[in-house]
Amino acid sequence: MDNSLLVSLSQQLAASRAMDVIANNLANASTPGYKREDARFEQYLERVAPSSLERGPQTLSFVEDAGIARDTAQGAVTHTGATYDFAINGNGYFALQTPQGVRYTRDGHFSLNADGQIVNSSGYALLGQNGPVTITPDDLDVQVGPDGSISSTVNGIGTQVDQLRLVDFADDHALMKEGSNLYSTTQAENAATGATIQQGALEASNVQPVVEISNMIQVMRAYQATTALSQSQQQLAGQAIQRLGTMPN
Amino acid sequence: MRALSIASTGMQAQQTNVETIANNLANMNTTGFKEQRAEFQDLLYENVQTPGAQTSDQGTYAPNGIQLGAGVKMAAIYRITTQGDLQSTGNPYDVAVQGPGYFRIQQPDGTDAYTRAGNFSLSPQGQIVTQDGMLVQPGITIPQNTISVTINAQGQVNATVAGNTTPQTVGQLELDRFPNEAGLNAVGGNLFLETPASGNAQAGVPGSPGYGTIQQGFLETSNVNSVDEITALITAQRAYEMNSKVVTAADQMMQQITQMAGA
Repeated sequence: MDNSLLVSLSQQLAASRAMDVIANNLANASTPGYKREDARFEQYLERVAPSSLERGPQTLSFVEDAGIARDTAQGAVTHTGATYDFAINGNGYFALQTPQGVRYTRDGHFSLNADGQIVNSSGYALLGQNGPVTITPDDLDVQVGPDGSISSTVNGIGTQVDQLRLVDFADDHALMKEGSNLYSTTQAENAATGATIQQGALEASNVQPVVEISNMIQVMRAYQATTALSQSQQQLAGQAIQRLGTMPN
Repeated sequence: MRALSIASTGMQAQQTNVETIANNLANMNTTGFKEQRAEFQDLLYENVQTPGAQTSDQGTYAPNGIQLGAGVKMAAIYRITTQGDLQSTGNPYDVAVQGPGYFRIQQPDGTDAYTRAGNFSLSPQGQIVTQDGMLVQPGITIPQNTISVTINAQGQVNATVAGNTTPQTVGQLELDRFPNEAGLNAVGGNLFLETPASGNAQAGVPGSPGYGTIQQGFLETSNVNSVDEITALITAQRAYEMNSKVVTAADQMMQQITQMAGA
């Protein structure tokens, strides 16, 4: 009898974690480059001794966290018109120089700092093939091509400034999230193939509200069902105590 | 229950988003106004299980970690400094900048401010001033008895005085540009101040490389696109609504626990 309460408890914990993941997806529905996540669960079997009326080993099945899987599907590309907003189409990440080392992001909102470096909102420099990309005041009409090449017009002559360091990884699910739209990893960088850059646009998050809300309802109902189960178990226990505890006259 | 606080960060973020959009819409007809956009970032993650953690001695590893997010935060509200449309006014002291550059204005305390709003007028002393009476730098005084004033694309101000057929040059408008104009500090009144993020102002003559040209008799309208703003407003409102649904759902789950304990 206690076991059924514990099984319900494991389910309730799982449901509240699934709810946290959905809440985080919805909170980040407007975060550029955010990738939605799904909580995954697995069965945990425990062998218990059979009662006198049963034969063979019996197992109890609990639920436990297996992982939180990131859905790396492409987010919608939204037009902003800002010169230093870049959207990545396809697999790839921007490389940023941070005090903690190189970090990666899909959030393509950048601006210039006072030194003319292209930096993100935290002030971390965007890396090109030759280190941080610097735009001087003489670089006019800065253009970024689909392959990430940055060109500008200096004194009326078109010049190539640098090319963005677009990288990809063997297993991008294993990238660690660091917050502030950054990822870190110990994996080796590969040059991103098949990723194109669109200037003046941002990749929106790939959170689909309909999916999240229906998942939320599902989680809530599962939670309710388990709660009802625990309640009826409690009632059962209460009745048993009352009945069995009544002294025969 | 973490979902409650996560949803509240989402609601706060969307509220700021709506406020930014409201400010853009309110300034749709403000001369030289540049639209702003709110940018968000995800908050720190709690690592319950690191992605790529080993699950056996044989070198198998978990393909996905368990990293619990804590919601969203505002990263920045940035200005999109694209060119606004030029609107004809016919007023000789209305000047629009086509291309990069800001007019330098002397504030009453003597420090410099910068603006894209070129709706200037004359002071009682004949100086070119903003609508708030601040001097446009470098100071230009229009002589008395002036019949007509022309300002050319390079910012040269010529005045034709009564009784004289040839116009005389009375001053030269200058423009200032910044390494990062999005880093300027907006102080209201269409004015911006230099900051460490914007870098130092570099003065130059309009029309020289890297500087815009001057258009007399025109004003630069705001670059707010109403269709974009309304769509952004709808998206923000829906996102706010969905986050509030999470609050309701989390609340119901907690309610069930308390009911269960009371049974």
